[in-house]
Amino acid sequence: MQIEDTPIYPYQIKQTTFCKYVLTTPNKEINLNFPQVLELRRKLNDLTTFDSLSSIINTDNFVLLFVADRQHLVYLDIPQLLKLQEEVMSFFYSPEMILV
Amino acid sequence: MNTTAIRKQMSIHPDVMDLLNNQIAMEMKASASYLAMASWCDQRELLNSKSFFYKQAEEEREHAMKIFVFINDNGGAAVSPNVTHVTNDFESLRGIYEKGLEQEIGVTESIFKIFKAAREKNDYTSEVFLQWFIAEQSEEEDTFRSIIDVFGLMEGMPLKMIDERLPKE
Repeated sequence: MQIEDTPIYPYQIKQTTFCKYVLTTPNKEINLNFPQVLELRRKLNDLTTFDSLSSIINTDNFVLLFVADRQHLVYLDIPQLLKLQEEVMSFFYSPEMILV
Repeated sequence: MNTTAIRKQMSIHPDVMDLLNNQIAMEMKASASYLAMASWCDQRELLNSKSFFYKQAEEEREHAMKIFVFINDNGGAAVSPNVTHVTNDFESLRGIYEKGLEQEIGVTESIFKIFKAAREKNDYTSEVFLQWFIAEQSEEEDTFRSIIDVFGLMEGMPLKMIDERLPKE
């Protein structure tokens, strides 16, 4: 019996210049400015609330997300949605400095 | 010093920004609610109360706008809220003012929550900004309490007579 490998969801968001960012998805790279990153964060936060996730699971089981001022449309199933949300959240996380 | 990519774009903390966006929704809901109260009073020719609530509706909207502009000025993204479930049906003038006080207390508690979050996240910009709102809410609550006291003092008097002794703003 073959055991499937743990699936990898390669979503990455990186800063390229001072106000330009790039979101790497399995299919394409999407250039974003900061307000577009903030909008993506807001949409992902809205989609990953308990009620919203329940509603997605009980209906289509996927979401179509407009990104970068509606220039790109991204298809996300639930694990992909959660992975992308995690990536965006970690992008906004700034660790506190600890003096040792 | 925090000089992460996000800090270079925003002066406020993203989590505090989310709470401030919720506050905008709360202030706009309060504004819509006061407008409904103003309409109830206007239809019954309660002139002072009508002026008071029209003014309150404007003030709440000004508060929302103040937060809205603050978020955008500090590199965040202000969100225009949905305003739903506004009650237009009331029992009495006193009931309206009591509902108004409850609403103001709710707004004050929400401001306290954001203030606390700003302090925990070391977001001093938001903390200082919110100080004005705390003083303002204290005044608002006092205004409503004083009006409700008038109802207690004038119990049994005709409604129109009570209304004439209430402030217009």
